[in-house]
Amino acid sequence: MNTFKPVLTEYIDQKDCHTLPFYKSIGGYTALEKVLTMNPDDITQEVKDSNLRGRGGAGFSTGMKWGFIPKDSNKPKYLINNADESEPGTFKDRLLMNKAPHQMLEGMIIAAYAIGCHTSFIYIRGEFYQEYKLLEQTIAEAYDNNILGQNILGSNYSLDVVIHRGAGAYICGEETGLLESLEGKRGWPRNKPPFPAIEGYLQSPTIVNNVETLSCLPHIINRGASWFKSIGPEKGPGPRLFCVSGCVNNPGVFEEPMGVSLKDLIFDRAGGIPDDKQLKAVFPGGSSSAILTANEAMDVMLDFEELVEKGSMLGSAGIIVMDETVDMVQACLNIARFYAHESCGQCTPCREGTSWLVMMLTRLINGDGKPGDIDMLLEITDNIGGLIDFSKGSFGKTICPFGEAVAWPVRSFVEKFKGEFMEYLPQEKVVA
Amino acid sequence: MPLLKVDGKEFEVESGTTVLQVAEANGIEIPHYCYHPALEIVGSCRMCLVQVEGMPKLQVSCNTFVSDVSSDRKVDGKYDMVVHTQNDLVVQERKNILEFLLLNHPLDCPVCDQAGECYLQDYSFKFGNAHSRFEENKRVRPNEFLGSQIVINHNRCIMCSQCVRFTQEISGTSELFVEARGYNSKIAVLEDNPLDNLLAGNVADICPVGALLSTDYIHKNRIWNLKKQPSVCQDCSVGCNVDVFSQTDQILRLTARENLDVNGYFMCDIGRYGFHRYEEIDRVLQPMVRKGDSFESVDWETAIQKTVDLIKKNKSKAAGIVSPFHTNESNFLLGQIFKDVLGSLPPITGEEITYPSGFRISADRSPNTRGMNDICDRVVEDLASEIETQGIRTLFILDDGIDRKLDDKWKKIIGEMDSVIVLSYAMTDLAKLAHVVLPGHAPLEREGTVTNDKGRIQWLRPSLPVKVESKPDWEILMLVRNALDKKTEHFVELGEVMKKMGEKFENYGGITFFKVGDQGYSINGKIS
Repeated sequence: MNTFKPVLTEYIDQKDCHTLPFYKSIGGYTALEKVLTMNPDDITQEVKDSNLRGRGGAGFSTGMKWGFIPKDSNKPKYLINNADESEPGTFKDRLLMNKAPHQMLEGMIIAAYAIGCHTSFIYIRGEFYQEYKLLEQTIAEAYDNNILGQNILGSNYSLDVVIHRGAGAYICGEETGLLESLEGKRGWPRNKPPFPAIEGYLQSPTIVNNVETLSCLPHIINRGASWFKSIGPEKGPGPRLFCVSGCVNNPGVFEEPMGVSLKDLIFDRAGGIPDDKQLKAVFPGGSSSAILTANEAMDVMLDFEELVEKGSMLGSAGIIVMDETVDMVQACLNIARFYAHESCGQCTPCREGTSWLVMMLTRLINGDGKPGDIDMLLEITDNIGGLIDFSKGSFGKTICPFGEAVAWPVRSFVEKFKGEFMEYLPQEKVVA
Repeated sequence: MPLLKVDGKEFEVESGTTVLQVAEANGIEIPHYCYHPALEIVGSCRMCLVQVEGMPKLQVSCNTFVSDVSSDRKVDGKYDMVVHTQNDLVVQERKNILEFLLLNHPLDCPVCDQAGECYLQDYSFKFGNAHSRFEENKRVRPNEFLGSQIVINHNRCIMCSQCVRFTQEISGTSELFVEARGYNSKIAVLEDNPLDNLLAGNVADICPVGALLSTDYIHKNRIWNLKKQPSVCQDCSVGCNVDVFSQTDQILRLTARENLDVNGYFMCDIGRYGFHRYEEIDRVLQPMVRKGDSFESVDWETAIQKTVDLIKKNKSKAAGIVSPFHTNESNFLLGQIFKDVLGSLPPITGEEITYPSGFRISADRSPNTRGMNDICDRVVEDLASEIETQGIRTLFILDDGIDRKLDDKWKKIIGEMDSVIVLSYAMTDLAKLAHVVLPGHAPLEREGTVTNDKGRIQWLRPSLPVKVESKPDWEILMLVRNALDKKTEHFVELGEVMKKMGEKFENYGGITFFKVGDQGYSINGKIS
C-alpha cells in the first residue's frame, strides 16, 4: 500500500497550488484538450469502464448516471457540481476546492462536454465563503484563458460556469433538494422518479456530481480507465479521500486507494488514539452510516461492498473515531440532534420522529428513562427510516434518504451499545 | 391499457392514472392528507403508503403511476402492477404515520370546529392506535391570524401543505409558505402580504384538520347539528356549486362543492360570506298593499285580488319586468302572464377576476342572466325608453333583491306608474315604490333552476324553511296567472312548470330536476 502515490492531492502542499499557472505546470488541462477532440459518448464509455462511483455518499456509478441523459431531448442539459459538503465528519471537498480548484474545474468541463451541457453550476455550501471567493478567482482565471466561455481552447464547444451559494441546509446536499434550492425554492427533496437525469434543474436533464467525483475525471482521461480500475477493488476502484476525525492524534484528509484497511487508516495515517486509549466505535462513512464497534472496525476494508456486508456504508468516507471515554448515549443524542435540526420537515415520519428521538434520549440522559424506552427507540427509528435489512434492500419511508440517514446510525448505537443505554435507566425502575 | 390488481381485484385503467385515483374511483379507501386532486402531488404526508409488488419500499399511492410494463416484467404473466392496500405491512405503517401525526396534536376535538368532519379524527379511529406512546411535552404555539378572516391553530396543523399549494397554484397569490424547518416548520404569511385574497376561505375548506379556521364560523356550532344542503351560489353568473350548512332557520356557513365543469373544488369569498347580507334585512313576510304613504298587511287572497284588479284596469299598458336573480321558472311564469315581458333593470356588476388556475369570478353578479334571456322571448336593451314609447302604466316586477339600488332616474320612472306590483322578499327601494308587495323567497330559500353564463343548467335547492306567510315565487306567479285567466292550467308543483317551460323552449326540452341533478347539465351545442 505504501507504493500508492496520491492522485487528487499529489500537489496540495506546493506553493500556489491553486493557481492556473501551477496547475498547467503539472499538466493541467491536457485532459481537457484531449477530450475536446473526442466523441462525448466515448468519454461516457471511458468513465463507465473506469467503474468510477460517486464520492458524495450514495456511490452510484458516474458513467451510468451520465448514460441516463436522454439522447433525443432537445432541452438544455445541466451539470451541477455538488459542493454542498455538509455530512458531519466530511471535509474532503473543501480541501479539493482550496488546493486544487482547477482540477475540479477541468473535471467539470469534461463532464459537461460528455453530457452536452453548456451551462454548469457549482452549488457551494454557504459556509464555504473562503472557497467561494477562491472559486470565483479560479473561474475568472479560466475565462481569461479561454478555458471557459465561448469556443473553449479554440474548439467549437462553449461552457459557462455559475457559482451558487447554498443558504445553510444539510438537505440541500441531496440532489433533488439541491435542485429545488438552485431553482430558488425551498430545499425540499423531490419525489423520484423522475430522476434528475430525465427531469432535473428547470425540468431539464441534469447531472449532479460531487466535487471529488469530478476531480477524478482528468486523471481517468489522462491515464485511462484500466489504470483507474487497477487501484483498489474492481467494483469501486480509484483513489479516495478519507476524512479522519474524532479521537485520533493526527486528524485530517488522507488519500488512499479504495479498500484501504480502516485499522491502518486510524492507527497509521491518523496516528492512533491519544493517550493509547482503547478504540470503542467508528463511523466509517459520515454520520449517516451505521457505526462499527472496535472489533468490527479492526478487520474492515473501506470498500463499498464490504461495508454494506457489515451493515454500514462507505458514504462520504467521513471516518469519525470514538475512543473508550466516549459516552455512546450522549454521542447518539448528538447525532439525533443534528438530524432533528436538519430535517426539512416535508415528510411526517422524519419531521416528527427525529425530534421525538431527541426528546426521548434527552429524557433518558436526565435520568427519567423508563424500561420500555430503549425498545421504543428502536421502533421509532424503524418507523422513520425503515427496517435495515440489506439482504432485502432498505425499507425507507420518506421521499429522500434522510429518514434512513437518521435511522441507521441511531439504531446501530442502540443495538451495539445497549448496555450503556440501560445504565441510564433509573435503577429502581429496572428492578421494578 | 394496463391491468392493475388491487387487493385481489382487477382493474383495467388508463396509463398514467395513479393508484390512489384507481382506488378512490372504485371504493377502496386509502387514507391521505397531502393529496388534493386540484393540486400538485407532493407525497409528503406518507399516509397513503401501499405495497407494490416488486418494489423494496412501500410506495405513496398518490404518486405511483400505473403504466404498461414489458411482458417479462408483468406479475403473474398479466398484471402491470399488483398493489396491496390492506396487508399487515400497510396497516402497521398507517398506525405508525398516525402516531407521528398525533405526537404534537393537542387532541382538543371537543373544542375544535373540525370535529365531525376531520380526517385526523376519522383516520385515527379507523386506522390508528388507541393510545399514545408519547411522553414528552407537546409543541405548543399560539394561534395566529393569516389574514383578516383566516386563523391558524398551529398545534393542530399536520403540515400537509395543501393550503400553501392552494395559494401558489389556484389563487396564484402565494401568500402562504412554510417557515423554518423540520420540527419547527409552520405555515406562515409575511406581515405585509396577509392571506386576504378573494379565494382565501377555501384554505379552511381544504384543510384536512382543524388548523385553518374561518373566523366567520369559528366556535359557532358543531357540524353534526347542521343540515347540509347541496345548492348553487347566487352571487355571480359562474354558479359555483356549494353546500349550505344551516340550523333551523339560520345559515351558518357555505362551503364549495365539487363540480369539475363549473368551479372545480373551490368558491370565492364573495359567495362564501354573501349569505350574511340577508341576515339583517327588512324582510317582507306578509302580503302588503299600499295605503297612503304606508303599507297595510293583508291576506293572500286580498293581495292576489288587488294585483289582478290593478293589472286588469289597464291590461294593454301593463308589462312585466323579469330578473336575472330569479329562477328560470319564475321568469318563465311571468312571461306567461305578460306575453310582452319587457326586460330587466340594468345589470348589477362588479370586478371580473380570473385566477391563474382558471377559477373565475364573473363581472355579472347575478346568477341567471343567461337563463332569463333564454326563457324570455324578448328582452329589450333600453328598458326605460321602451316603457316610455309603449306608454306602460302598470308594472309587475320580479325584484332583484337587496343588491338592487335604484337611481333617481328609475325611482322617477317607477314612481310615476299608475300601479306597481313587486314580488320581493325585502322592503327594498323598489318594494317601497310598490302598490302591492307579494312576499316571496330570499335567494337561499328558493327552489328552481338557474343557467350560468356558460349555459349550464343547475339546480337551486331551498336551504332554509319557508318563513311565515311568504310563498315560493313560482306559486305566487301561478296564483296571479290563474286569477287573471281561470281557464289556464293550474300547476300544483314546480316540476310541472319546468315541464311546460321545456315544451316551450327547445334548449330546456325535457328538463326535470332529476335530469339536472346535483352537477347540472350543459345546454351548449343545442342552442341554435
